[in-house]
Amino acid sequence: MKKPKDTIDSSRRRQLIKTGMAVTGGISASLVVASKANAATPDPLITEIQDWNRYLGDGVDARPYGLPSKFETDAVRRDVAWLTADPKASVNFTPLHKLDGIITPNGLCFERHHGGVAEIAPSSHRLMINGLVNNPLVFTMEDLMRFPRENHLYFLECAANTGMEWRGAQLNGCQFTHGMVHNVMYSGVKLKHVLAEAGLKGNAKWLLPEGADASHMTRSIPIEKGLDDCLIVTHMNGEALRPEQGYPLRLVVPGWEGNMWVKWLRRIEVGDKPWHHREETSKYTDLLEDGTARRFTWEMEVKSVITNPSPQAPINHGRGQTVLTGIAWSGYGRVKRVDVSIDGGRNWTTARLDPHSFSKSLHRFYFDFDWDGRELFLQSRAIDEFGHVQPTKNQLRAARGVNSIYHNNSIQTWHVKNDGVVENVEVS
Amino acid sequence: MLKYPKARVLGVLLAISAATPVIANDEGKALFGQCRACHAIGPDAKTQYGPVLNGVMNRAAMVEEGYSYSDAFKKASEGGLTWDNDTMAAFLAAPMSYISGTKMAYPGVKSDEDIQHIINYLSLFDEHGNQAGLVAETSQERPDEDPKERMLAANFVLPDHGVFHLGRKALNEEVAAWDIDVRPDGTGLPVGSGDALTGMDLYDAQCASCHGDFGEGTGRWPILAGGHDTLTEERPEKTIGSYWPYLSTVFDYVRRAMPFGNARSLSDDDVYAITAYLLYLNDEVDEEFELTSENFTSIALPNEANFIADNRTDEPNRQINVNELCMTDCIATPVEVTQRALVLDVTPDE
Ligand code: HEC
Ligand code: HEC
Repeated sequence: MKKPKDTIDSSRRRQLIKTGMAVTGGISASLVVASKANAATPDPLITEIQDWNRYLGDGVDARPYGLPSKFETDAVRRDVAWLTADPKASVNFTPLHKLDGIITPNGLCFERHHGGVAEIAPSSHRLMINGLVNNPLVFTMEDLMRFPRENHLYFLECAANTGMEWRGAQLNGCQFTHGMVHNVMYSGVKLKHVLAEAGLKGNAKWLLPEGADASHMTRSIPIEKGLDDCLIVTHMNGEALRPEQGYPLRLVVPGWEGNMWVKWLRRIEVGDKPWHHREETSKYTDLLEDGTARRFTWEMEVKSVITNPSPQAPINHGRGQTVLTGIAWSGYGRVKRVDVSIDGGRNWTTARLDPHSFSKSLHRFYFDFDWDGRELFLQSRAIDEFGHVQPTKNQLRAARGVNSIYHNNSIQTWHVKNDGVVENVEVS
Repeated sequence: MLKYPKARVLGVLLAISAATPVIANDEGKALFGQCRACHAIGPDAKTQYGPVLNGVMNRAAMVEEGYSYSDAFKKASEGGLTWDNDTMAAFLAAPMSYISGTKMAYPGVKSDEDIQHIINYLSLFDEHGNQAGLVAETSQERPDEDPKERMLAANFVLPDHGVFHLGRKALNEEVAAWDIDVRPDGTGLPVGSGDALTGMDLYDAQCASCHGDFGEGTGRWPILAGGHDTLTEERPEKTIGSYWPYLSTVFDYVRRAMPFGNARSLSDDDVYAITAYLLYLNDEVDEEFELTSENFTSIALPNEANFIADNRTDEPNRQINVNELCMTDCIATPVEVTQRALVLDVTPDE
């Protein structure tokens, strides 16, 4: 098996050179050749027998856990090294420009850790419920798997998503400006069942979930939310949670700040007042221009971004039929409408919203148009089922100043130049 | 023995070898599962989010003495509301419209049949929570036992807590080991003390390498001190002294997460001493200062009053009317680029 592979590779290289294509540019060059209206010479990809037409590929025993094609090198999470001091208390970003549909693949969901990725054997994990309950309880993972299970599709957005853009256009790519969001089908149990097992006392008003990792993440959550739609989950997109997403147990707090979705969940305390811990005082509070700061700003507001074209996904095909697409979401419920502008907000057209619409989930929109080759200023504006409208950058800055860090849900502008290159800009 | 050694819970049959006949009216018990998130019933029932429902049937509403009912409920009760089969059925079908303004945030039971099962189940309990002819007995849990062996044992009884009888009681030592959280009112503080000078030695040895000798932060590691009166400046510096609202947050966070890479290694007295030193670095106390579990809540941080509730819904951008959204010729002037990301060039290379 090893030997034939070598010959395949070298014969392929010969063939590429023979057909006059540089090895490095092979993929995109062939795309351009194929898309020309009239071919002067026959396409060797068609007229010549390719290696993969002749030689056998890997067998079923080669990939017990399948990975993406080796050509998909760009579909990776990326981090911004200068943002934080240490990668173990840092963040990376979902490559939104490489994705379509509404599901984020597990390996591409952005990561945010405060003490690195804890690796916990399920048999060594426990969940404790204590505080204002009739019976403080300890559950094993096996116990938790015996509660009635449910499936729900929810987006998770870090409250700091787009936080680097408050003062103006900064990072060149939707991966970096908007990539702290992902959308996953979770399987698990309603938190209220687990709380009921311990029995809430009459003065129970707040919950404090806590992680088992080295940061022992804690956040205060009002009991109404906990009894409403919060979940304790074991699975994402059908398989066990990934370690970086809290394996074996994570809290899901639909529509609310990603920081509250405590990973490696090991304890929930029930109390009568909030705890005002570090992640809801020093962090995740929104400083306003007058020096006051909002706290407990839980809901993620209505938002959208065009993922293609975008700086990392320029238009390579020249003028003509063009697919514009993007994602939209609201922490309050469903997205009802997305408007798109190609002239910097002068004129708007309502985009086609993909019918897979779920509450507190990403929505996919498309806008197909005929590009005349002139420069474009692309914007999208989402509206949710409650009539919340995504604001402009200036509207948001007028209300909050530029030092809020969190909750920037303003309208993004991409500048498409005549050659199809795209840049993150702000416009008048 | 437990009331229902072999219980049918939401249609899931728990197959246990020590078989006894299934007792009827399991439907009502299973359906009551959805109520247990908020209500307890039975001899050991304690007040939860909702009132205890012992002996609720054929009585005036507001059965639990001492429970703080909503004003809406009080009014209904004063109006002479009594729980008989009809009133209870109407209430359970749509609690929030039957008593508008009730705290019982529950949409209602859909089918009449289910409602009758629940009412029958409620009727089983007298005001002490006892059921005719049934005597409850508590089970002793032994957490270190192999769960499988325990369940297969002939004398196995399901735990008596909750709806599904899953999990086991947490031992006091276990709760104490994990429950280390501290609140602004001092709840959760361990007994102990430490002074700023002791804290300085600990800080210099275990914290200064990242956070700087004076809390100024080395490189990009977090800043812990200084920044007073910068919150309205162009580049605010948010530190314990300039921004954090409560001292309890410092104690709690250092104890649970620091030093970075060696969490939970500090003793409680160490954490008191380091917290005292962080106060000193922020000019809140002098170097003689000793922080104790006694004087802790007397220390207020200067920025506490500047934290406000979430009022985003009041912002003008939240008042935009969808029906008045402009679709054509919305801005008169031609597009002008005011800022470009490429000028900054801070995006990582591919
Ligand atoms: C989300 C929590 C919640 C759930 C779930 C819930 N209740 Fe309630 N219930 C309450 C609260 C709170 C009150 C007190 C109402 C008030 O004061 O307005 C109440 C009151 C009641 C009362 C009146 C008791 C009295 O003393 O007069 C009855 C009866 C009742 N509930 C039955 C049920 C039943 C049966 C179910 C399940 C089908 C159920 N409840 C589910 C929270 C809940
Ligand atoms: C190896 C570097 C390192 C050491 C040593 C260290 N810390 Fe930290 N500290 C960090 C990092 C990184 C964070 C931010 C973690 C995060 O993002 O969740 C932090 C956060 C903090 C914060 C919160 C800062 C804020 O603005 O929210 C405090 C307080 C703190 N550390 C105190 C201490 C104390 C006290 C010690 C010594 C006992 C210590 N640290 C030792 C790296 C360090």
